[in-house]
Amino acid sequence: VSDPARAALDAKVLAWMREPACLEWPQEEERFDRLACELFTFQFERCAPYGRFCARRGRTPGTVRSWREIPAVPTGAFKELALRSFRAEEAVHVFRTSGTSAARRGELHLDTLALYEASVVPSFVQHLLPELVRGIPVGPASAPPPRLRILAPTPAAAPDSSLSHMFGVLLRELGARGAIGPSGFDLDAGELQFRGWLRALEDALEHDAPLVLCGTAFAFVHALDELARLGMHLSLPAGSRVMETGGFKGRVRELSREALYGLLEERLSIPSSAIVNQYGMTELASQFHDSVLRFPGTLRRKLAPPWARVRLVDPATGDPVPPGEIGVLVIHDLGNTSSVSAVETADLGRQVEDGFEILGREPGAEARGCSLAAEEMLAGSGPA
Amino acid sequence: LSASSAREVSDALGRVRGCGKTLRARPRSETLCVLAQVLDRWRDPTSKTRQSLDHMLPEATGFSREVVRAGLAHALGGWTDEALRALVQRELGGGAGALDRGAVLATGFGSTSVLLAGALPTPTLLAILAPLVVGSPVLARTSSSDPVTARLVAASIAEVDPELAACVEIVEFAVDDFAAMEAFLSAECVVASGSDATLSAVARRVRPPRRFVGYGHRVSVAVLGSEALAPPSLLETCARLVFDVGLWDQLGCLSPLAVYVVAAEPPQIEGLAMGMASALAQAEVKLPRGRTPTSASAAFARARAEAEMRSAAGQDVDVYGLPTDPWCVVREDSAQFREAPLYRFVRIHPVADLAALPGALAGLAPHLAAVAIDGFGANSPKAAELAASLGASRICAPGRMQAPPLGWHHDGQGVLTPLCRFSDVESD
Repeated sequence: VSDPARAALDAKVLAWMREPACLEWPQEEERFDRLACELFTFQFERCAPYGRFCARRGRTPGTVRSWREIPAVPTGAFKELALRSFRAEEAVHVFRTSGTSAARRGELHLDTLALYEASVVPSFVQHLLPELVRGIPVGPASAPPPRLRILAPTPAAAPDSSLSHMFGVLLRELGARGAIGPSGFDLDAGELQFRGWLRALEDALEHDAPLVLCGTAFAFVHALDELARLGMHLSLPAGSRVMETGGFKGRVRELSREALYGLLEERLSIPSSAIVNQYGMTELASQFHDSVLRFPGTLRRKLAPPWARVRLVDPATGDPVPPGEIGVLVIHDLGNTSSVSAVETADLGRQVEDGFEILGREPGAEARGCSLAAEEMLAGSGPA
Repeated sequence: LSASSAREVSDALGRVRGCGKTLRARPRSETLCVLAQVLDRWRDPTSKTRQSLDHMLPEATGFSREVVRAGLAHALGGWTDEALRALVQRELGGGAGALDRGAVLATGFGSTSVLLAGALPTPTLLAILAPLVVGSPVLARTSSSDPVTARLVAASIAEVDPELAACVEIVEFAVDDFAAMEAFLSAECVVASGSDATLSAVARRVRPPRRFVGYGHRVSVAVLGSEALAPPSLLETCARLVFDVGLWDQLGCLSPLAVYVVAAEPPQIEGLAMGMASALAQAEVKLPRGRTPTSASAAFARARAEAEMRSAAGQDVDVYGLPTDPWCVVREDSAQFREAPLYRFVRIHPVADLAALPGALAGLAPHLAAVAIDGFGANSPKAAELAASLGASRICAPGRMQAPPLGWHHDGQGVLTPLCRFSDVESD
C-alpha cells in the first residue's frame, strides 16, 4: 500500500483484527465509529465515483457524524465499476462474484490481501472452533486436533473466488498454528472427489478426530446425494461440525436450508446445532456466522466481527427499521479499505437480539402482476 | 378466505362439469346476452360490482384507490356488447350454435380450470368469461395477490343469471398443495397465467387429450421517433406514457418498462427524461403509487443507486427524482436493456435509427407484449412492422397501452380459439 493515509488506516484495522481472541469479542462502538468515519473521509476522497455519489446525496466528511450516516453502495455497482480507493496499477488481486444470475460479474479490486486474510481466521475460530478461544479441546479431551475438509475449489483452480481464497487462508494459518490435523480440499476441476472425501472422513473416524466440514451448500448436496446413492450413513466423530455457505441459485437442484440440515443429520449425524451458515460476499472482506457453536443453546442468529456492523434499513426511506421488522441489509466493513466500506446488499433480513437473520424473498410473495421483472428475464435469456 | 381441500376442489369441478351440460344446451346468443350485461355492470362506475372493486381491491392488492378507479375505467371502456359479439364473430364465425364458421364446429371443453395470477382485475374478468362464451364451465383458483376479483366476477354473473353463475366456481388453495392442484388440473382444459417456471410446471401435469393454454409473463416498451419529442408534442407524449406507467404501477405486462428513443438529439432525449420525471411527480397527486413490498422497494432503491453510481463514475447517465420519490427516471447512455424493478421505474434508451431497433430489442423479443409507437410520421408503418416482426402481440399509441381491446391476441393467440376443439364438417 503506497498511500501513507491508507497505510495508517490499514494498520489500525489490522491491529484490531489481530488482537488476542476472547469469547465476548467486545464491539467497541466508539472505536468502530471513529475508524469508520476516518475510512469514509479517505474513501470519499480517493474513490472518485463514490465521493461524487455521496456528495450528490448530501453526505460528505463534513456532514457525516456517525458510521450510520455513511452512504452505502449497492452490490450491483461492483458489477458496473471498479470501485478502488487506490491507483489501478497497484492492484494485486481481483475477486469476482460467481455470476450465477446475471451476465456481469461483480469485482472486488485489491491492492493488498492483508486485511482480507487477517479477518478470516478470527471470525472462523470464534464461530466454528470456539473451543480454541476458550482454551479447551475440540471434541473429547483425548481427541486429536480437528480436521478441515473443504468442498470448494482450491485457490489455484479458482483464483478469482474469494471463497476459495478464504479456505486456502484457513488451511494455511490454522495449519501453521498446529490448530488442525490433516486437512484439504475435496473438489477438483469443479468436480466432487467423492472417494477422496469419503476416505478422509473414514480416516478421521478411525482416529476419532473431529471434522469441520466446510463448503458450499450446493457441493454438500452433491456429496449427500452420493452417500444416499450408496445407502451410507456415517456417524462422524464427536465434536464434528459443518460450515456451509452460499445458495443454490442457477444450479440443478435446489432444496431448503432446513432440508439440507436434515440430510446432514441423517447421513453424517451432524445435528443442526453443529451446523453454521456463513454469510459473506465477494464485495466484502469480512464474514458473518451463525451463533450456534459460539453461544450454544441460544437463538440462532448471525454475528458480525467487531470491525463490521450490519444495519437493517427501510429501502424506501433509508431509515433504520424497528427491531424485528424486515429491512435491507447494509454492511459496514472496515476490512474494505481498498474499495468502499459501506455496501448495500440485495438481501432482506431482520435483527435478532445482538445479531441478524437473513430472509429470502418475502414469504408468500407471489408476483403481483404479469410484468416480468427484468432481472429474471435477463437471467433466463443468458448473456446479451 | 379458507383454503379449499383437494376434495372440495374435486367436488367443485364435478359441480361445474354437471352445469356444463345445461350451458352447452343453451344457444350461444343467450349466453352472450348475459355476458354482455355482466360487462355493462363492470363498465358502470355506479354499479354494485364496481363499487365493491373500488372498496375492496386497494386493500387486497395494494394498488391505490385512484389507480383502481382510473385503471378499470380506462381498460373497460371498450369492453362492450358490440366488442364481445365482434370477438365471437372473428374467432368462431357468425353461427349461433352448432355449425360455427359455416362448416366448422367449435366446442368448448367439458370444464375449464383457470389458474389466475397477479393482481390486475381485467385479465381475471376475461379469463373467467371466455370459457363461458364457448360453452365451457369454469373452475378458477384465485391469485394470492388478488382474492377479490374472481369472486366479484362470479357474483356479477349471478346478479344477471344465476343459472349461468352456477357454471362458475372459485377455489382458493396454496400452490404447493399438490393434491388440491392435481384435482384442479384434472379439468379437460387448463388455462394458466404466470412465470415461465409456473407454466412449465403446470404444462407437465396436463397431458393430452386435455388442453393446456398458457399465458406467460411479458414486458412492454415504448418506441418514440423525434416527432414525438418536438415541443408541441412533448408534454402530451410524456403525459400519455406516464399514464401507461402509472396504471397498475407497471405491474401489468402492458406497462412500458423502458422508452426507446430513435434518431433523437441528446437535448431531445434529456427533454423527454425531464418531461417524464415531471409528469411522474404530478401523477403522484392523481394516481398515487400503491403499496410496495419491501423486496420491491429494495430492488427499486438498488437499481436507482446503481444508476447514480454509474453517473457518478462519469458514464453518460442521468437519474431524475430523489431517492425517496415513488418513481424514478434514468436516462441511459445506450440501448442495452437493464434491470427493470417495476413500480414506476422508467429507463430511456437512445437508439441510432430504426434499422438499429431490432438489435436494441432483440433481448426482449421472446418476452415482448406491447410496443407503443409514436413520432415516426410517414415511417410509422415501418416502425409497427418492425415491432411486430420482433414478436410484439400489440402495437398501439402511448396512453392506450393499458386498454387492450377485448379481442387482443394475448401472447399472439386467439381469445376463444385456444379454449375450443374444432370439428370440420364437410358438406358432402
